[in-house]
Amino acid sequence: MLGPRDRVIGQIYIEGDLRVGGVVEGEVEVTGDVEIDDMAKVKASLAGRDVTIRGHVNGAVVARKRLIVARSGSLIGDVRVARLAIQDGATFSGKVSMGAGSAAASSTKAVEAPAPTAVAPEPKLATEVEKPAAPIAAEPLVAVPKITPAVIIKTAAPAPVAELRVAGKDGKGRPGAPPIKGKPDKNKKKRR
Amino acid sequence: MDTQEAIAESTPIETHGQSDSKRDGQNKLTLGPNDSLEGKLTYHGHMSVEGGRAEGEFRIGGNIEIGNGTVVKALLEASNVTIKGEVEGRLTARDKLTLGKTAKMNGDVQVRRLQIEDGASLNGYVRMGDFEQQAGS
Repeated sequence: MLGPRDRVIGQIYIEGDLRVGGVVEGEVEVTGDVEIDDMAKVKASLAGRDVTIRGHVNGAVVARKRLIVARSGSLIGDVRVARLAIQDGATFSGKVSMGAGSAAASSTKAVEAPAPTAVAPEPKLATEVEKPAAPIAAEPLVAVPKITPAVIIKTAAPAPVAELRVAGKDGKGRPGAPPIKGKPDKNKKKRR
Repeated sequence: MDTQEAIAESTPIETHGQSDSKRDGQNKLTLGPNDSLEGKLTYHGHMSVEGGRAEGEFRIGGNIEIGNGTVVKALLEASNVTIKGEVEGRLTARDKLTLGKTAKMNGDVQVRRLQIEDGASLNGYVRMGDFEQQAGS
Protein backbone atom coordinates (compact mmCIF):
# COMPACT_ATOMS: atom_id res chain seq x y z
CA MET A 1 0.00 0.00 0.00
CA LEU A 2 1.30 3.37 -1.00
CA GLY A 3 -0.62 6.07 0.78
CA PRO A 4 -1.86 9.30 -0.73
CA ARG A 5 1.26 11.15 0.30
CA ASP A 6 3.69 8.51 -0.79
CA ARG A 7 5.57 8.79 -3.97
CA VAL A 8 7.59 6.34 -6.00
CA ILE A 9 9.69 7.23 -8.98
CA GLY A 10 11.41 4.34 -10.61
CA GLN A 11 10.78 0.69 -11.01
CA ILE A 12 8.70 -1.23 -8.59
CA TYR A 13 8.41 -4.94 -8.49
CA ILE A 14 6.10 -6.50 -5.99
CA GLU A 15 5.25 -10.03 -5.17
CA GLY A 16 1.80 -9.75 -3.86
CA ASP A 17 -0.76 -7.03 -4.23
CA LEU A 18 -0.25 -3.31 -4.52
CA ARG A 19 -2.50 -0.46 -3.73
CA VAL A 20 -1.50 3.00 -4.80
CA GLY A 21 -2.92 6.14 -3.30
CA GLY A 22 -0.21 8.58 -4.24
CA VAL A 23 2.12 9.34 -7.08
CA VAL A 24 3.94 6.70 -9.01
CA GLU A 25 6.16 7.29 -11.99
CA GLY A 26 8.09 4.68 -13.84
CA GLU A 27 7.29 1.05 -14.09
CA VAL A 28 5.17 -1.12 -11.88
CA GLU A 29 5.16 -4.89 -11.92
CA VAL A 30 3.01 -6.77 -9.54
CA THR A 31 2.43 -10.48 -9.34
CA GLY A 32 -0.88 -10.00 -7.61
CA ASP A 33 -3.55 -7.39 -7.98
CA VAL A 34 -3.10 -3.67 -8.48
CA GLU A 35 -5.46 -1.05 -7.24
CA ILE A 36 -5.13 2.59 -8.11
CA ASP A 37 -7.14 4.70 -5.74
CA ASP A 38 -9.16 7.80 -6.49
CA MET A 39 -6.52 10.31 -5.64
CA ALA A 40 -3.62 8.47 -7.15
CA LYS A 41 -1.67 9.76 -10.10
CA VAL A 42 0.24 7.14 -11.95
CA LYS A 43 2.52 7.78 -14.86
CA ALA A 44 3.82 4.33 -15.34
CA SER A 45 3.38 1.09 -17.12
CA LEU A 46 1.40 -1.25 -14.95
CA ALA A 47 1.39 -4.99 -14.98
CA GLY A 48 -0.61 -7.16 -12.67
CA ARG A 49 -3.20 -9.84 -12.45
CA ASP A 50 -6.33 -7.90 -11.66
CA VAL A 51 -5.89 -4.21 -12.21
CA THR A 52 -8.45 -1.78 -10.86
CA ILE A 53 -8.16 1.88 -11.72
CA ARG A 54 -10.04 4.55 -9.84
CA GLY A 55 -7.53 7.32 -10.20
CA HIS A 56 -5.47 8.70 -13.03
CA VAL A 57 -3.22 6.45 -14.97
CA ASN A 58 -1.09 7.41 -17.90
CA GLY A 59 0.78 4.46 -19.31
CA ALA A 60 0.45 1.01 -20.71
CA VAL A 61 -1.43 -1.55 -18.71
CA VAL A 62 -1.13 -5.29 -18.81
CA ALA A 63 -3.67 -7.23 -16.84
CA ARG A 64 -3.16 -10.95 -16.90
CA LYS A 65 -6.67 -11.44 -15.73
CA ARG A 66 -8.86 -8.41 -15.71
CA LEU A 67 -8.73 -4.67 -15.96
CA ILE A 68 -11.43 -2.56 -14.40
CA VAL A 69 -11.64 1.15 -14.94
CA ALA A 70 -14.10 2.49 -12.41
CA ARG A 71 -16.27 5.49 -13.02
CA SER A 72 -13.85 7.79 -11.28
CA GLY A 73 -10.92 6.33 -13.16
CA SER A 74 -9.11 7.64 -16.15
CA LEU A 75 -6.69 5.68 -18.22
CA ILE A 76 -4.64 6.87 -21.12
CA GLY A 77 -2.50 4.22 -22.62
CA ASP A 78 -2.50 0.96 -24.45
CA VAL A 79 -3.96 -1.99 -22.77
CA ARG A 80 -3.46 -5.73 -22.99
CA VAL A 81 -5.91 -7.66 -20.98
CA ALA A 82 -7.72 -10.93 -20.80
CA ARG A 83 -10.91 -9.27 -19.64
CA LEU A 84 -11.93 -5.68 -19.52
CA ALA A 85 -14.64 -3.76 -17.78
CA ILE A 86 -15.06 -0.04 -18.12
CA GLN A 87 -17.73 1.63 -16.08
CA ASP A 88 -19.79 4.45 -17.38
CA GLY A 89 -18.15 7.73 -16.58
CA ALA A 90 -14.64 6.41 -16.83
CA THR A 91 -12.21 7.96 -19.25
CA PHE A 92 -10.21 5.76 -21.48
CA SER A 93 -8.09 6.30 -24.54
CA GLY A 94 -5.75 3.84 -26.07
CA LYS A 95 -5.47 0.62 -27.90
CA VAL A 96 -7.13 -2.43 -26.51
CA SER A 97 -5.86 -5.93 -27.21
CA MET A 98 -7.89 -8.71 -25.83
CA GLY A 99 -8.77 -12.34 -26.04
CA ALA A 100 -6.80 -13.84 -28.87
CA GLY A 101 -3.98 -11.52 -27.94
CA SER A 102 -3.58 -12.99 -24.50
CA ALA A 103 -0.68 -15.12 -25.65
CA ALA A 104 0.77 -12.14 -27.38
CA ALA A 105 0.06 -10.20 -24.26
CA SER A 106 2.53 -12.09 -22.19
CA SER A 107 5.16 -11.97 -24.88
CA THR A 108 4.89 -8.24 -25.25
CA LYS A 109 5.00 -8.03 -21.57
CA ALA A 110 8.18 -9.98 -21.64
CA VAL A 111 9.63 -7.41 -23.99
CA GLU A 112 8.52 -4.50 -21.92
CA ALA A 113 9.68 -5.99 -18.70
CA PRO A 114 11.41 -9.33 -18.69
CA ALA A 115 11.59 -9.78 -15.01
CA PRO A 116 8.03 -10.22 -13.92
CA THR A 117 7.13 -12.71 -16.56
CA ALA A 118 9.87 -14.90 -15.40
CA VAL A 119 9.02 -14.60 -11.80
CA ALA A 120 5.29 -14.65 -12.14
CA PRO A 121 3.70 -17.66 -10.58
CA GLU A 122 3.75 -20.34 -13.21
CA PRO A 123 0.38 -21.90 -12.76
CA LYS A 124 -1.36 -18.67 -13.49
CA LEU A 125 0.53 -18.10 -16.66
CA ALA A 126 0.05 -21.62 -17.75
CA THR A 127 -3.68 -21.43 -17.41
CA GLU A 128 -4.03 -18.12 -19.10
CA VAL A 129 -1.66 -18.48 -21.92
CA GLU A 130 -3.24 -20.85 -24.29
CA LYS A 131 -0.50 -21.12 -26.81
CA PRO A 132 3.14 -21.98 -26.77
CA ALA A 133 4.12 -19.10 -24.59
CA ALA A 134 4.07 -21.26 -21.50
CA PRO A 135 7.45 -22.90 -21.94
CA ILE A 136 8.96 -19.58 -22.85
CA ALA A 137 7.60 -18.11 -19.73
CA ALA A 138 8.93 -20.97 -17.69
CA GLU A 139 12.48 -20.99 -18.98
CA PRO A 140 13.63 -17.59 -17.93
CA LEU A 141 12.85 -18.59 -14.41
CA VAL A 142 16.39 -19.75 -14.19
CA ALA A 143 18.02 -18.09 -17.13
CA VAL A 144 17.02 -14.49 -17.12
CA PRO A 145 18.41 -12.24 -14.51
CA LYS A 146 15.71 -11.01 -12.29
CA ILE A 147 14.71 -7.50 -11.69
CA THR A 148 17.48 -5.07 -12.13
CA PRO A 149 18.15 -3.47 -8.84
CA ALA A 150 15.31 -1.10 -8.46
CA VAL A 151 12.96 -0.10 -5.83
CA ILE A 152 11.78 -3.41 -4.64
CA ILE A 153 8.93 -3.40 -2.34
CA LYS A 154 8.40 -6.45 -0.36
CA THR A 155 4.92 -6.96 0.81
CA ALA A 156 3.36 -10.06 2.13
CA ALA A 157 4.74 -12.34 -0.51
CA PRO A 158 3.04 -15.64 -1.04
CA ALA A 159 5.46 -18.24 0.18
CA PRO A 160 5.68 -20.41 -2.93
CA VAL A 161 6.47 -17.46 -5.09
CA ALA A 162 9.24 -16.42 -2.83
CA GLU A 163 10.75 -19.84 -3.16
CA LEU A 164 10.67 -19.58 -6.90
CA ARG A 165 12.64 -16.42 -6.76
CA VAL A 166 15.21 -17.84 -4.50
CA ALA A 167 15.59 -20.80 -6.74
CA GLY A 168 16.19 -18.51 -9.65
CA LYS A 169 18.93 -16.70 -7.86
CA ASP A 170 20.55 -19.94 -6.90
CA GLY A 171 20.62 -20.95 -10.50
CA LYS A 172 22.65 -17.89 -11.19
CA GLY A 173 25.24 -19.03 -8.75
CA ARG A 174 24.58 -16.60 -6.00
CA PRO A 175 23.35 -18.98 -3.38
CA GLY A 176 23.96 -16.76 -0.45
CA ALA A 177 22.70 -13.53 -1.90
CA PRO A 178 19.45 -12.41 -0.50
CA PRO A 179 17.17 -12.06 -3.47
CA ILE A 180 15.33 -9.13 -2.13
CA LYS A 181 17.19 -5.92 -2.07
CA GLY A 182 14.88 -3.66 -0.22
CA LYS A 183 14.72 -4.45 3.41
CA PRO A 184 11.17 -5.09 4.28
CA ASP A 185 11.30 -2.20 6.60
CA LYS A 186 8.58 -1.33 8.91
CA ASN A 187 6.12 0.39 6.68
CA LYS A 188 7.04 -1.86 3.84
CA LYS A 189 8.22 0.69 1.41
CA LYS A 190 11.34 2.29 0.22
CA ARG A 191 11.74 5.48 -1.64
CA ARG A 192 14.35 6.90 -3.77
CA MET B 1 -30.72 -3.01 -50.00
CA ASP B 2 -32.63 -6.03 -49.06
CA THR B 3 -35.34 -6.44 -46.64
CA GLN B 4 -35.93 -3.56 -44.35
CA GLU B 5 -38.80 -2.75 -42.23
CA ALA B 6 -39.23 0.72 -40.97
CA ILE B 7 -41.41 0.49 -37.99
CA ALA B 8 -42.88 3.27 -35.99
CA GLU B 9 -41.83 3.97 -32.48
CA SER B 10 -44.17 1.43 -31.02
CA THR B 11 -41.96 -1.43 -32.09
CA PRO B 12 -42.06 -4.09 -29.43
CA ILE B 13 -38.33 -4.48 -29.51
CA GLU B 14 -36.62 -4.65 -26.20
CA THR B 15 -35.03 -1.34 -25.53
CA HIS B 16 -32.90 -2.07 -22.52
CA GLY B 17 -33.42 0.89 -20.32
CA GLN B 18 -33.44 3.38 -23.10
CA SER B 19 -37.04 4.32 -22.83
CA ASP B 20 -36.19 7.89 -23.62
CA SER B 21 -34.89 7.02 -27.01
CA LYS B 22 -37.89 4.94 -27.73
CA ARG B 23 -40.34 7.64 -26.96
CA ASP B 24 -38.72 10.59 -28.57
CA GLY B 25 -40.84 10.19 -31.65
CA GLN B 26 -38.12 9.01 -33.95
CA ASN B 27 -38.65 6.11 -36.24
CA LYS B 28 -36.86 2.92 -35.76
CA LEU B 29 -35.47 0.60 -38.34
CA THR B 30 -35.36 -2.96 -37.19
CA LEU B 31 -33.67 -5.89 -38.83
CA GLY B 32 -35.01 -9.20 -37.65
CA PRO B 33 -33.37 -12.60 -37.87
CA ASN B 34 -34.32 -13.10 -41.49
CA ASP B 35 -33.44 -9.64 -42.66
CA SER B 36 -30.25 -8.40 -44.10
CA LEU B 37 -28.93 -5.06 -45.11
CA GLU B 38 -26.00 -4.34 -47.33
CA GLY B 39 -24.80 -0.97 -48.43
CA LYS B 40 -24.89 2.61 -47.28
CA LEU B 41 -27.58 3.80 -45.00
CA THR B 42 -28.20 7.26 -43.68
CA TYR B 43 -31.11 7.30 -41.35
CA HIS B 44 -32.46 9.77 -38.89
CA GLY B 45 -34.24 7.46 -36.55
CA HIS B 46 -32.94 4.62 -34.50
CA MET B 47 -31.72 1.35 -35.80
CA SER B 48 -31.80 -2.04 -34.28
CA VAL B 49 -30.31 -5.23 -35.59
CA GLU B 50 -31.71 -8.24 -33.85
CA GLY B 51 -30.30 -11.38 -35.28
CA GLY B 52 -30.11 -10.11 -38.83
CA ARG B 53 -27.05 -9.45 -40.90
CA ALA B 54 -25.80 -6.04 -41.84
CA GLU B 55 -22.86 -4.88 -43.86
CA GLY B 56 -21.84 -1.50 -45.15
CA GLU B 57 -21.84 1.98 -43.82
CA PHE B 58 -24.54 3.19 -41.49
CA ARG B 59 -24.90 6.75 -40.33
CA ILE B 60 -27.68 6.91 -37.89
CA GLY B 61 -29.12 10.03 -36.32
CA GLY B 62 -30.47 8.16 -33.35
CA ASN B 63 -29.22 5.11 -31.59
CA ILE B 64 -28.04 1.76 -32.79
CA GLU B 65 -28.61 -1.46 -31.00
CA ILE B 66 -26.94 -4.63 -32.08
CA GLY B 67 -28.47 -7.62 -30.47
CA ASN B 68 -26.95 -10.81 -29.26
CA GLY B 69 -25.97 -13.22 -31.98
CA THR B 70 -25.87 -10.57 -34.65
CA VAL B 71 -22.92 -10.02 -36.91
CA VAL B 72 -22.41 -6.54 -38.28
CA LYS B 73 -19.57 -5.53 -40.51
CA ALA B 74 -19.85 -1.88 -41.01
CA LEU B 75 -18.72 1.61 -40.44
CA LEU B 76 -21.15 2.75 -37.80
CA GLU B 77 -22.02 6.18 -36.61
CA ALA B 78 -24.79 6.97 -34.19
CA SER B 79 -25.58 8.76 -30.97
CA ASN B 80 -25.78 5.88 -28.59
CA VAL B 81 -24.50 2.52 -29.63
CA THR B 82 -25.33 -0.60 -27.72
CA ILE B 83 -23.62 -3.78 -28.79
CA LYS B 84 -24.42 -7.24 -27.63
CA GLY B 85 -23.44 -9.06 -30.78
CA GLU B 86 -20.38 -8.98 -32.99
CA VAL B 87 -19.24 -5.88 -34.76
CA GLU B 88 -16.37 -5.44 -37.11
CA GLY B 89 -15.47 -2.01 -38.37
CA ARG B 90 -14.94 1.50 -37.26
CA LEU B 91 -17.45 2.90 -34.88
CA THR B 92 -18.33 6.39 -33.78
CA ALA B 93 -20.69 7.02 -30.94
CA ARG B 94 -21.52 10.68 -30.61
CA ASP B 95 -22.69 9.99 -27.13
CA LYS B 96 -22.14 6.64 -25.56
CA LEU B 97 -20.96 3.22 -26.53
CA THR B 98 -22.06 0.30 -24.44
CA LEU B 99 -20.55 -3.11 -24.90
CA GLY B 100 -22.63 -5.78 -23.25
CA LYS B 101 -21.31 -8.97 -21.75
CA THR B 102 -21.73 -10.85 -24.98
CA ALA B 103 -20.31 -8.18 -27.25
CA LYS B 104 -17.36 -8.68 -29.53
CA MET B 105 -16.05 -5.53 -31.04
CA ASN B 106 -13.25 -5.47 -33.53
CA GLY B 107 -12.22 -2.09 -34.78
CA ASP B 108 -11.39 1.41 -33.78
CA VAL B 109 -13.82 3.29 -31.69
CA GLN B 110 -14.45 6.93 -31.09
CA VAL B 111 -16.82 7.76 -28.31
CA ARG B 112 -17.78 10.39 -25.86
CA ARG B 113 -18.63 7.95 -23.14
CA LEU B 114 -17.81 4.33 -22.88
CA GLN B 115 -19.10 1.47 -20.85
CA ILE B 116 -17.76 -2.01 -21.18
CA GLU B 117 -19.26 -4.82 -19.21
CA ASP B 118 -17.09 -7.57 -17.95
CA GLY B 119 -17.06 -10.36 -20.48
CA ALA B 120 -17.14 -8.13 -23.51
CA SER B 121 -14.30 -8.35 -25.92
CA LEU B 122 -12.74 -5.39 -27.64
CA ASN B 123 -9.83 -5.09 -29.99
CA GLY B 124 -8.92 -1.74 -31.41
CA TYR B 125 -8.09 1.81 -30.56
CA VAL B 126 -10.36 3.73 -28.30
CA ARG B 127 -10.51 7.46 -28.59
CA MET B 128 -12.53 9.36 -26.15
CA GLY B 129 -13.51 12.93 -25.81
CA ASP B 130 -15.98 15.53 -26.89
CA PHE B 131 -16.68 15.71 -30.48
CA GLU B 132 -14.63 18.54 -31.77
CA GLN B 133 -12.56 16.21 -33.82
CA GLN B 134 -15.65 14.53 -35.25
CA ALA B 135 -14.82 12.87 -38.56
CA GLY B 136 -13.65 9.82 -36.68
CA SER B 137 -9.99 10.27 -37.41
